[in-house]
Amino acid sequence: MDPLLLGSLVGVATILVLFSGISVAIGLLLVSAGFLIAFDGMRSLELVPEVLFGKLDSFALLSIPMFIIMGASIASTRAGADLYEALERWLTRVPGGLVISNLGACALFAAMPGSSPATCAAIGKMGIPEMRKRGYPEGIATGSIAAGGTLGILIPPSITMIVYGIATETSIGRLFLAGVVPGLLLVGLFMAWSIYSTWASGERAAMPRISYSWRERFELMPRVLPFLAIIVGVLYAMYGGIATPSETAAVGALLCLVVAMIIYKLLQPSALWAVLRDSTKESVMILFIIAAAGVFSYMLSSLFITQSIAAWISELEVNRWVLMAAVNLFLIVAGFFLPPVAVILMAAPILLPVVTGAGFDPIWFAVVLTINMEIGLISPPVGLNLYVINGIAPDISLRTILLGSLPFVACMLIAIVLLCLLPGLATWLPDLVMGPAL
Amino acid sequence: MDSAMSRQQPASRSFQHAVGWISEVSGWLAAAMIMIAVLLTCQMIFVRYVLNASTAWQTEVVIYIMIGGTLVGLAFVQKHRGHVNVDLLPLWLGPKAARALAIVTQSAAVLVIAVCLFHGFEFWHLAQSRGWTSDTVTAVPLWIPYLALPVGFGLMLLQLVADLLDTLQGHSGTGGA
Repeated sequence: MDPLLLGSLVGVATILVLFSGISVAIGLLLVSAGFLIAFDGMRSLELVPEVLFGKLDSFALLSIPMFIIMGASIASTRAGADLYEALERWLTRVPGGLVISNLGACALFAAMPGSSPATCAAIGKMGIPEMRKRGYPEGIATGSIAAGGTLGILIPPSITMIVYGIATETSIGRLFLAGVVPGLLLVGLFMAWSIYSTWASGERAAMPRISYSWRERFELMPRVLPFLAIIVGVLYAMYGGIATPSETAAVGALLCLVVAMIIYKLLQPSALWAVLRDSTKESVMILFIIAAAGVFSYMLSSLFITQSIAAWISELEVNRWVLMAAVNLFLIVAGFFLPPVAVILMAAPILLPVVTGAGFDPIWFAVVLTINMEIGLISPPVGLNLYVINGIAPDISLRTILLGSLPFVACMLIAIVLLCLLPGLATWLPDLVMGPAL
Repeated sequence: MDSAMSRQQPASRSFQHAVGWISEVSGWLAAAMIMIAVLLTCQMIFVRYVLNASTAWQTEVVIYIMIGGTLVGLAFVQKHRGHVNVDLLPLWLGPKAARALAIVTQSAAVLVIAVCLFHGFEFWHLAQSRGWTSDTVTAVPLWIPYLALPVGFGLMLLQLVADLLDTLQGHSGTGGA
């Protein structure tokens, strides 16, 4: 059978299987096994455990459970609320200060290795009720947190970036740095929109200004700083070339656990077990998808599908920006339905040769891909963040949350366009810190 | 329906309860292994950067412990519905069709993991009978890390069968596979 036709068949089968409610990892194994049996015979399955094990056999992967433990220990504490309150006390005099504090807290919390929904939950629990109490429009209150939460996968350290780095064999250090400027750009766009729409809604008059004493402004700082210090330390050790991401992350994980136990009094065995249980669940889930996606791409390449798709696209000789637009469209649609990790693992190995072949930078592409995934996180039908917000504020309809999030999706699209016009936004910082890419 | 079920529940669900308990234990084991990987990596850094000594075996052993934790933890994550899924079709279908679909997907999952268990066991057996070792200085006998394949998939298979039984007996509605 023609590999391209076979490829479309695999695509359709994968979509059908994944939408059936089967877990993503098992679904990928199922599709892979099905096609391997059909085209290479039963014996081809013998290699599956070896491929699976081999995919996990990498020291770089260790950084995933490590960063997850860091995130889970931070999330188990009041750190998110403290961060939010501290910012709020500093920014209370700025117009739209509260929504700015919320977005700022999301961005800072994103700089801790939290997942996107975790960032939403941590900041939103405090931020949304407070914003509503002070008269901010519901759409802005919920939309800003939903969008702010997505920064977690762009601003380093980001598990999504680690997965991209592993799937495409790109430097994780470079990827982390590449997310910084676009992350700040997005925060800026989000803030600009929030201030404008709060002002335009005309409800600002009703908002009481609360003023805080200098003492109140400073008192929360010491509780937030240790975690920030650990993260900065981890990143410094990584870029200083002192240790690899996995090694520094292991030290960071241990330190975060210790800080959570000492400063935030996370001492009951049940609370500690909750942190370990949650991190175990998340790392096992992600690592299993990585292993299963390994089997999936083994199937694709042993049936010559990967190679044929790449060859076919390069023969099309389309304009490279038309190609990039098509890739973006594909990623957005995939992101609507699938979790970021799954999209990256399935799509990156196929897309990257095509994208680099058209002269795009793989690090830059990681940022564009990640912003596409962020859009998926706040869009129906499976936008995780929307449901997290819905859980925090059940009396606000999903429709309001969705409409409130839409302008932020527009901000993300603007960011993608800006990145296309000025690729330096993503590549300048990594090149500056780590030297020009080879 | 509940009262009719409850009469036979103790007998009919004892398998699921036993499996659930095994999966919980495997979750503890997986968490312990991941924590050991954290501590061992920290120990390695301490030895290398503070004591300025060389580390030979740690990197490899840490990777194997992480893989072991992942595979052994599969069943635990399955029990707590932690394996991420996209349930668009079940939501779109009515409850009856969704239940039928759940039976199909859960059976498919049982089948796939059974295949992984079978070949995983063979792979482990091969490594053990031929005395394969890793091609590093440490020369780890590979049957030890490979043992995680049959054990992990075996535990996962048990949990998936228990989930399938639950769905068939109408205990859990449309629990995902």
